Amino acid sequence: MSEKNEAFNPFDPTGMFKNMRDTSMDAWSKLMIQLVNTDAYSQATGTMLDAWLSSSAPFRRMLETTMTQVLSNFNMPTRTEITSLAERLTNIEMRLDDLDAKLEENPRGARRGAAKSKPESNSGEGTK
Amino acid sequence: MMATEFHPPTAADVYAELQNIAQRTSTFNRLVSTDAKIAQTPKEVIWTLNKAKLYRYVSIVPEDKRHKLPLFLVFAIMNRPHVLDLRPGHSFVEYMLKHGYDVYLLDWGAPGPEDRNLKFDDYTLEYLPRALRKMKAISGSDRFNMLGWCLGALISTLYAALRPDDGLKNLILLTAPLDFTDKTAGGFIRWTCNQAFNADKLVDAFGNVPGEMIDYGAKALKPVENFIGNYLKLWDNLDNSKVVDAWHAMNTWVRDNIPMAGGAYRQLINEFYRQNRLIEGTLVIDGERVDLRRLNANVLNVIAEADHITPPCQSEGIMSRIGSQDKEVFRVQGGHIGIMAGSGAEKTTWPHIERWLAARAD
Repeated sequence: MSEKNEAFNPFDPTGMFKNMRDTSMDAWSKLMIQLVNTDAYSQATGTMLDAWLSSSAPFRRMLETTMTQVLSNFNMPTRTEITSLAERLTNIEMRLDDLDAKLEENPRGARRGAAKSKPESNSGEGTK
Repeated sequence: MMATEFHPPTAADVYAELQNIAQRTSTFNRLVSTDAKIAQTPKEVIWTLNKAKLYRYVSIVPEDKRHKLPLFLVFAIMNRPHVLDLRPGHSFVEYMLKHGYDVYLLDWGAPGPEDRNLKFDDYTLEYLPRALRKMKAISGSDRFNMLGWCLGALISTLYAALRPDDGLKNLILLTAPLDFTDKTAGGFIRWTCNQAFNADKLVDAFGNVPGEMIDYGAKALKPVENFIGNYLKLWDNLDNSKVVDAWHAMNTWVRDNIPMAGGAYRQLINEFYRQNRLIEGTLVIDGERVDLRRLNANVLNVIAEADHITPPCQSEGIMSRIGSQDKEVFRVQGGHIGIMAGSGAEKTTWPHIERWLAARAD
């Protein structure tokens, strides 16, 4: 009896590498996890990030200054002004939330008061 | 021994196979680059403040069969909370609704440039109490349950310790990064505690830390799985609709990155990761020292054994320091997200949380 070889499929481009891939992936993964958890890796990435932040800082400052000047000359609000406005709006929103809380607390307090006084009136009715 | 017979392919075979590969490639590209429909459970917005929103999910159990205490969910501040309601049929929110809980979810929202100075102080004592106040008003219950996940668990812990008399009865912590004593524990701690890493400089440059940067950092902790293995898994299972749907939903959530407020990031790295102030007892939030012994709510601490973002040692150290009498550690096999959103979550984590809560919910 003959049987077709299911393991081999010449048209699946990943098939040929699949077995090899699956067996090596686990080992490769463990190796990489070990690598990223070393002090050397932490030091290297930290240093690279720091170097990039330090070297790009003057350009960022220059861009910010230029943009602020351009926007001011066109009578348009700068990023700082918009941000400040948004902060003020958030503060107003918080005050409104406080007012909302106070308004909600009154009916709740009234309900609680009513609930407390209810048994008394019931007992009063019962004595009649 | 069986004989092996090789049939040479015909031109039609080659054409069909090429079509199949083209079809698979097209499906793969679509899944990788498009969004699935997630967070589908019906809900209403009941409170907003700045970017934060509080949702109340529509209950599916009659009122008389519901638990009395509402369940308040708090997720991390640098990801969307939709992972708690990933897709119909596989949603923690849906699961808890079915078990009779009145579920509320706090979505912190994406911070804008004006929020760059937001700190844990603001999240813990400005936003969270206000959202809780609204939940209490809507639910009519002054006592409640709270579930915090990742940095949401950190905020929940701070709140529970600072406001122990505010009605919190049961606190569930999921993969909570709280104890940074072991500086070699793996995860972010090695990177962030290295002297070459300067969080202040990063925040000064960006304002808010870009979501892509945080996402890259999380993925780089397990680079082979996240950058390669994840996509190979999809390619291998393109014919399995169950796996594809789950993958697509999870990828949609993972791709939806939001920035982290600069002030909170600075505080997380300097005061938590580096100085371990919460455990040392020197953490001050909005002028108040955080004393973990004041935390008196019942606590379920869920720890993921294979968590590469919050290693177990960062979660378990808190148990001996809190004042709670009723406390339990539940260890689950799985990763940081997998224990709540993976395929095994509804058989392991969710039922345990539900049972623990049900025994204490009323």
